[in-house]
Amino acid sequence: MAARGAWQQHPLHKYRQKRRSHNPSREIATAPRESAATQGRSCRSSPQTRAEIEMGVFILSETSAGYALFKAKDKKLLKGGESLSTVQDAAGALKLKKFTKFENAVTALNEAAALSDSKVTPLLSKLLEDLKDETKASLAVADAKLGNAIAQLPGLDLKIVSDQSSTSEVYRAIREHLPSLIPDMVPAEVNATRLGLAHSLSRHKLKFSPDKVDTMIIQSIGSLDVLDKQLNTYAMRVKEWYGWHFPELAKILNDNLAYSRVVLKMGFRSNAREADLSSILPEEIEAAVKAAAEISMGTEISDEDLEATSALAEQVVDLTEHRINLSNYLSSRMQALAPNLTQLVGELVGARLIAHAGSLTNLAKSPGSTIQILGAEKALFRALKTKHDTPKYGLIYHASLIGQATGKNKGKIARMLAAKSALGLRVDALSTWGVGSEDTSKEPTEEEKSQLGRDARATIERRLRALEGKPLKSLANANMVPVAQKWEVKEARKYNPDADGLTGDEPAAEKTKGQVNGTTPKKLVQEVESGSEDEDVTMGDAGADTSDSEAEEPTTGTTPKDKKAAKKAEKEAKKARKAERAAKREAKVAKQAAKEAKKAAKGTSDKKRKHDDEEDKTEKKKKKKSKD
Amino acid sequence: MAFTPRGRGGFGGGDRGRGGSRGGFGDRGRGGGRGGRGGFGDRGGRGGGRGGGDRGRGRGMSRGGPRGGRGGAGGARGGAKVHSKVIVEPHRHAGVFVGRGKEDLLLTKNLTPGESVYGEKRISIANSANPTNGEDAPATTTEYRVWNPFRSKLAAGILGGVDDIYMKPGSKVLYLGAASGTSVSHVADIVGPEGTVYAVEFSHRSGRDLINMATHRTNVIPIVEDARHPLKYRMLLPMVDCIFADVAQPDQARIVGLNASLFLKVGGGVLISIKANCIDSTAAPEVVFASEVNKMREMGIKPREQLTLEPFERDHALVAGIYQRAA
Repeated sequence: MAARGAWQQHPLHKYRQKRRSHNPSREIATAPRESAATQGRSCRSSPQTRAEIEMGVFILSETSAGYALFKAKDKKLLKGGESLSTVQDAAGALKLKKFTKFENAVTALNEAAALSDSKVTPLLSKLLEDLKDETKASLAVADAKLGNAIAQLPGLDLKIVSDQSSTSEVYRAIREHLPSLIPDMVPAEVNATRLGLAHSLSRHKLKFSPDKVDTMIIQSIGSLDVLDKQLNTYAMRVKEWYGWHFPELAKILNDNLAYSRVVLKMGFRSNAREADLSSILPEEIEAAVKAAAEISMGTEISDEDLEATSALAEQVVDLTEHRINLSNYLSSRMQALAPNLTQLVGELVGARLIAHAGSLTNLAKSPGSTIQILGAEKALFRALKTKHDTPKYGLIYHASLIGQATGKNKGKIARMLAAKSALGLRVDALSTWGVGSEDTSKEPTEEEKSQLGRDARATIERRLRALEGKPLKSLANANMVPVAQKWEVKEARKYNPDADGLTGDEPAAEKTKGQVNGTTPKKLVQEVESGSEDEDVTMGDAGADTSDSEAEEPTTGTTPKDKKAAKKAEKEAKKARKAERAAKREAKVAKQAAKEAKKAAKGTSDKKRKHDDEEDKTEKKKKKKSKD
Repeated sequence: MAFTPRGRGGFGGGDRGRGGSRGGFGDRGRGGGRGGRGGFGDRGGRGGGRGGGDRGRGRGMSRGGPRGGRGGAGGARGGAKVHSKVIVEPHRHAGVFVGRGKEDLLLTKNLTPGESVYGEKRISIANSANPTNGEDAPATTTEYRVWNPFRSKLAAGILGGVDDIYMKPGSKVLYLGAASGTSVSHVADIVGPEGTVYAVEFSHRSGRDLINMATHRTNVIPIVEDARHPLKYRMLLPMVDCIFADVAQPDQARIVGLNASLFLKVGGGVLISIKANCIDSTAAPEVVFASEVNKMREMGIKPREQLTLEPFERDHALVAGIYQRAA
């Protein structure tokens, strides 16, 4: 302080102050806070100095109509010397030096937008040029950041005063008595400019919203969720509807898309022979479908009925296609917007996190602990209120890394993953690739951008392996969308009767099975009987069986993945054929036992129905999981 | 000292004291519960835990969107048709009206006759003695809009019997946390064409609706900015008579203080709606309210009264005060 006081009298003072104004960083650090106090001290300590050098106090006021520059009559104004509450006081204390009106609405908008960002516009700097001749004058600016920007303007020798405590009274007075201080301003006009400026400024703000890319991700993940739900309902409905015509198809084909495609292609069950399903299904399943169509027990439907069903099936096909596109879009967006987060938790979980936080920047601002339990707010607040343990994971639970952990390790991995995600997110959201460095032309590659995320993931995987105490394979494709294969036909899950409790009336159930609703017989029974009856009932089928498997042999040798799929398909086909045979066979048996069966059927059909429903439910669950 | 925490007066509903019945979850006394926080977070359990909950709004469920499903118990506004037998009386607060019909309704005089802002009911009253109803209001009728206390904290406060709302026809009001502008439209009705409402909202999504609303009401000035940085909109505001704040942020008192020091006249009114959960979800609401009132005192706001918004909102309080600046 004393040193500064000395500068004021020193001949070098002017020079030093100029130098200071060329050194912006120091100016920012010191000027606003100290200036008022320093000034006060120097004034009191050396009254004659103040008298000799003319020191003006200026006030910059921004209004909706233009910039106003006031000169204070009393130099102590900024020290809160006198009250400015009445119009007379204010008009007496402040003299309008200059008023630069905004010419039109566009200028006003540009100026106001710049002011919001604390930037000095050419118009403002032109206005301030009037103060060039003033030496040792001080200028009050409402916004400290704007004050710093003004201090950096070349050729100005001003002391910027922008701390709230010294300027707020003056600005309150100006705001209060604006029309009487600026003769050019008519109150009605002020209101009109305010309204116009506010509207255009808000519109401008919405138009150039910085987080519009985040919005795309948030909307697409929301849309994806809705789509999944919708798709499932539609597909179930198609199955249910077409099932009246061809009930066996749902058991053979479990894949919604394939089912709907078959419905579209085949139409009536009777067309099965001629229909070419080879583009939709693998051979053996196609054969199974065709065989099942021959002996189906479904009802006949009219053309109109089929039309309605097909329309729904078409929807399923379209929606599935849309879903694939959308998920590709989402993953490409996520890769571009948040590469590190995507590496760590995957696109879907990452997108959900961003959606939950509102925007990428919001998410990047939150600490790891918050990211860890994002989505488990209800549990968190309940735990906080009741003083119980807080939840270990929220949305992040669905990340593949946490899925790989078991038991207690899940919580640990969730914590680590969240912490690493927080780091990765900050890189994603706040890094200015290439801009921050000297060499702006050098933009890092995608690989380099997600380096941090990949390293962190490897670290966590290593940690997990150590915790679990067993070798754990790193899943290269863990977070990726499943690779599209030609045959996206999932294995039909059979109901497992072993899981049922035995009720004691098995024989009755066994006999009625074929008749109740024509579905494939239960596995347990099938295996017991197939060995004994296969040869005498369907020799031809057995022959076809072997030839089929031979024909498959060469195709299976391509890649391990294909092989697996083919094997699965083969198994499935076999089962399906067995099922057919069993059905035929049982039809025979059932004829004999028809009378008893009818009685028993009434009792058991309800039960069977229930089982089917349950099966559907489990399937749904499984699908949901696999999507995650 | 006029500062007394009080229960609710006014009409409708029983007195519940000051947010008293709180013990834990599950005692949602009123019909149509609020569904927690968007049905989220059952520990992220397998398969489940992902449910809907479009949280795109950023600020949590209670902001912006229509809070459908409530009001069944107290309001029954859903079924309130435009009655032909409604008598409109002025309320104690200037600019607010009460419609006496089968049920009592809180009304404001519609600034833009023939238009609803958010689908609320409108009531046309002929200026002569016999009341009529109709969609288009000819010159001889006055149109009022029904103000739902379940959707507006200010309306809830008025029904709760707040002493002074510090806004009357001709006032300038700074409204922080304007959301989609549903409440703002009623405040605009109160201050009338001579007054002005400066509506500040940070969320871009809600700001869009706010701007749309403001295009039809020239006394509303929409500002899409963060109320934490009042300097960013300093060129748009004159000194105002009243600040109404419904920002539901932990640093709410500070935000109000900042805005008051820049824009509020000495002696101007401050109305703050405090949601206890938003400030500290673990502490008891009374404690939270008390600490907020203390913070207001430090900001130079002399608290006048505090009342709970109980039958309409849970664990909310409306605190009214006078700005004194040099506290």
